[in-house]
Amino acid sequence: MKFQIEDVTVCFPYDHIYPEQYSYMVELKRALDAKGHCLLEMPTGTGKTIALLSLITSYTLSKPQGAIKLIYCTRTVHEMEKTLAELKLLHNYQVKHLGPAAKILAIGLSSRKNLCVNPNVLEANNRDSVDAACRKRTASWVRALSAENPNVETCEFFENYERTASGAVLPPGVYTLQDLRAFGKEKGWCPYFLARHMVQLANVVVYSYQYLLDPKVAGIISKEMQKESVVVFDEAHNIDNVCIEALSVSVRRQTLDGASRNISRIEQEINRFKATDVNRLRDEYKRLVNGLALSGNLPGSDSWLSNPALPDDILREAVPGNIRRAEHFLHVLRRLLQYLTVRLDTEDVEKESPISFVASINNQAGIDQKTLKFCYDRLHSLMLTLEITDTDDFLHVQTICDFATLVGTYSRGFSIIIEPFDERMPHIPDPVLQLSCHDASLAIKPVFDRFQSVVITSGTLSPIDLYPRLLNFHPVVSRSFKMSLTRDCICPMVLTRGSDQLPVSTKFDMRSDPGVVRNYGKLLVEMVSIVPDGIVCFFVSYSYMDGIINTWNESGLLKDVLVVGYVSSFHLVFLMILLFQEIMQHKLVFIETQDVVETTLALDNYRRACDCGRGAVFFSVARGKVAEGIDFDRHYGRLVIMFGIPFQYTLSKILLARLEYLRDTFQIKEGDFLTFDALRQAAQCVGRVIRSKADYGMMIFADKRYSRHDKRSKLPGWILSHLRDAHLNLSTDMALHIAREFLRKMAQPYDKTGSSGKKTLLSQEDLEKMDGSGLQERLY
Amino acid sequence: MANNIAEKRRQQEEDDDEEDGDLDGWGERNYADERSWEALQEDESGLLRPLDNKAMYHAQYRRRLRSLSTASNSQHIQKGLIRFLYIVLDLSRAASVMDFRPSRMAVVAKNVEAFIREFFDQNPLSQIALVIIKDGVAYSLTDLGGSPESHVKALMAKLECSGDSSLQNALELVHEYLDQIPSYGNREVLILYSALTTCDPGDIMETIQKCKKSKMRCSVIGLSAEMFICKHLCQETGGLYSVALDESHFKELIMEHAPPPPAIAEFAIANLIKMGFPQRAAEGSISICSCHKECKVDHRKLVLVANKALSILAINPAFMLLVQNANSTFALTATFTFMRVCTIAQVARASELHSEATLHR
Repeated sequence: MKFQIEDVTVCFPYDHIYPEQYSYMVELKRALDAKGHCLLEMPTGTGKTIALLSLITSYTLSKPQGAIKLIYCTRTVHEMEKTLAELKLLHNYQVKHLGPAAKILAIGLSSRKNLCVNPNVLEANNRDSVDAACRKRTASWVRALSAENPNVETCEFFENYERTASGAVLPPGVYTLQDLRAFGKEKGWCPYFLARHMVQLANVVVYSYQYLLDPKVAGIISKEMQKESVVVFDEAHNIDNVCIEALSVSVRRQTLDGASRNISRIEQEINRFKATDVNRLRDEYKRLVNGLALSGNLPGSDSWLSNPALPDDILREAVPGNIRRAEHFLHVLRRLLQYLTVRLDTEDVEKESPISFVASINNQAGIDQKTLKFCYDRLHSLMLTLEITDTDDFLHVQTICDFATLVGTYSRGFSIIIEPFDERMPHIPDPVLQLSCHDASLAIKPVFDRFQSVVITSGTLSPIDLYPRLLNFHPVVSRSFKMSLTRDCICPMVLTRGSDQLPVSTKFDMRSDPGVVRNYGKLLVEMVSIVPDGIVCFFVSYSYMDGIINTWNESGLLKDVLVVGYVSSFHLVFLMILLFQEIMQHKLVFIETQDVVETTLALDNYRRACDCGRGAVFFSVARGKVAEGIDFDRHYGRLVIMFGIPFQYTLSKILLARLEYLRDTFQIKEGDFLTFDALRQAAQCVGRVIRSKADYGMMIFADKRYSRHDKRSKLPGWILSHLRDAHLNLSTDMALHIAREFLRKMAQPYDKTGSSGKKTLLSQEDLEKMDGSGLQERLY
Repeated sequence: MANNIAEKRRQQEEDDDEEDGDLDGWGERNYADERSWEALQEDESGLLRPLDNKAMYHAQYRRRLRSLSTASNSQHIQKGLIRFLYIVLDLSRAASVMDFRPSRMAVVAKNVEAFIREFFDQNPLSQIALVIIKDGVAYSLTDLGGSPESHVKALMAKLECSGDSSLQNALELVHEYLDQIPSYGNREVLILYSALTTCDPGDIMETIQKCKKSKMRCSVIGLSAEMFICKHLCQETGGLYSVALDESHFKELIMEHAPPPPAIAEFAIANLIKMGFPQRAAEGSISICSCHKECKVDHRKLVLVANKALSILAINPAFMLLVQNANSTFALTATFTFMRVCTIAQVARASELHSEATLHR
């Protein structure tokens, strides 16, 4: 269908549109008009992605004078593929209806691991070794060498790509990663470098957050993106954590040991070069005198490291004299390592600001701030000069240099925390030195500054006024949309008491109370008997999950544990598949563990059990892998129980430091931030069960604290609007009754388009009939 | 004004108290039995009001009307008149749950009885068999037959529940029986499922495909909530899946299965089947009623007559051509003719009441 939003004709590939999609587009369009940033919250399952894509592409088409590029950032490769698939559908529709003028080029960009087609390179199993294997075949000196010696292996795909040079372009169209691989195979061109090259020309680029937020990568990939771009961060509820992680480094004993091994190897290489090719090192020295910016004129395939600090910060300056010579640089690194080793050897927890840390390095190791700042680039340059290709072996020294550069660059928003052991296991010494970033706005600032519109969108961005403060920007539009439903297909409940009327909570002083544990157990046992197919349970942490399962088991509530697959890990015993006698009558039990393979297996079996009607329960952990990325839609999740409020571990030194910083800098109260963070996790967990409007599911928040207004009000609007007052203070038996009724009601057939009173599907005629204002009124 | 109202309310409460006092013992028991509080719901302002299922009922009613009218509008809906229906009752542990009063099992049994009678009224040429799931296995309670009494009697004698439920076992059993039914018969399964899980020995998906292949139309009525596997089964085999809200809704749902369903397209070629009716062997003396036995006369298929009166009335070896799977008007005519025979028989029966009584004693 085609319709008009103000002066833009929007091409939408479906016959019907949800009202909230329409208003989402209206708001988005206004933000684009204003050339400003915006924050939009819309529940999952309402077609956020397609609304976004069709509006922005249509907007570009209607404004031929200034072509706008769309940069779409996703969290995972899976989401990237999904987005591109939808874009493909949209593109086909647009080309069909608007003719070839609507043709665009859209590509996905991912790491070599996902794009490489060379079977020899793909043998390596992790990302770093694929990267290294690729470099071994494509680095300029390797190729120069192979010209003389045919035994040196190169990559034929890359050679073909280089040979065609500027002739290697993608015809317009939408390319998923798979399409790119297929295209590369067919043409014999390397898809990775082709995609890297085409990123500059494409109208739509879909890639991962890191390519924009992590300065190490952003410098290479996104440096040349034009200013007139719209940047979209999808599923961005955790964007502040991504920003912080991009600028945080932690150093352990192993890192230091590895780094000193690396340095020895570099020294050997230097000696080798001194004997064979002195000029190379001398050339490098000259280059460094002229500044790092000039050292950038190396072939594209060689640029694999970049500055972790903000671009442009230091590139113009010349490298300090004391590290220009390779040997001197190694001496500096050695001294730094020595200093760090001494610092790690501490008995107490230490917390320091970067300024005092740098001062103490200066005193004790004689390295000044400016030298530290240049460490990463100096290492980069040195490794290129020494023609080192197996970069995956040098990760440790890279970490150290990364650390040095960050410490040298930033004086605010960071702190250095040295912990001699993990607080939860004080008898195992595991010293760690962490440089932790507290200010999410540091990493995202260049993105906001550089691009004309940045769209941050997700299913849960509540409370929506907190994000601008955390990320330090001013949105022109910030809105939260509700879901228009034909029936009340979500049923959130707050359970505060067990059947015996005793309160339940995971509050620290209550969580191990046998009464609470028993009541939680009872709740589960009762629920499995009345809910069909799949149930998902989220616990606040792995240790709590293990504890509560053990207690349930010991107290005889879940008698006769029959362990099918039993996998023990190093300090905790994880039960892969347990069949509890009492629950087993109704459902099988699967448990998430910290091992990815085990969890995948458990998930797979869980799905099978749901499919074949046996029914299953999945025990999972908030903030775990499952809570973030796995959908439990349709019969895979008819009920989700959130046991407790998933607060962060509040005694963690890093969290305390961050809270302090947030309070001092952004005036965000500790309690507010903790609650906000916990509830967005809870909302993420329970949001796993609803992925479309035809779906239905129940959500139980099992903790008495959820009934308090300050906690509850931080849940996203689409959950709150279905949370009736009558469901705020339930006991187990009341919840059971409500669940029974709800499930019966939802099993009845219903009208998909909604009854005449409130339309939830709008056709083209509907949209034309009502002018914008009329629609607006009905929506809000 | 407010005072007035308060006064009035107080008075009312007192009145209520008195009434309660009168019916104390009865009231309490009645209260506990009916679980009337479950029919209440708290609304936004905290007031109690009855559960609002009316709107839903109404919508369903309208939908049914619509589907009926579309069915009658299109001329070419063919109905499968000769039905072989297996009713599968889930008597697992879940059937003892008391959310239906007095228990799901009792409610199911009561309505199945009514259904069986209604079924034979509407489908005089069809047959029913009963299968029970209990303790994880399925076994056949009665074989295919046309006598409502024998089914009901067998069912009522076996009303107890225990163990798990297994959908696959039931389907396998029914499949074994129904696979032998000749192709003019409509193979149907109606599953009344209380449980929310199924404990199967093998891959149920294979069994479902098997059922689909042998054209079994499987319908499920759930008693508690929607299950994916049941929905899948019904979708694959072309049956209906519904979930009962309460007892009256359950009754409605089960009765929906009484009228003959549309015939399966591949068998819906109008063809004639030769049929014969039993002859009363010896006039005047007491003889065995032949209607409840399967036999063949002159290689013609013998219609097993549901209506007893019909077999009492001696019809001379007359043939009746019944059109199975013809279009609806034709089928209606045929049925009408058949029903007329029955009516005549009933008139005759009145006069022969005495002899019938001796016959069936």
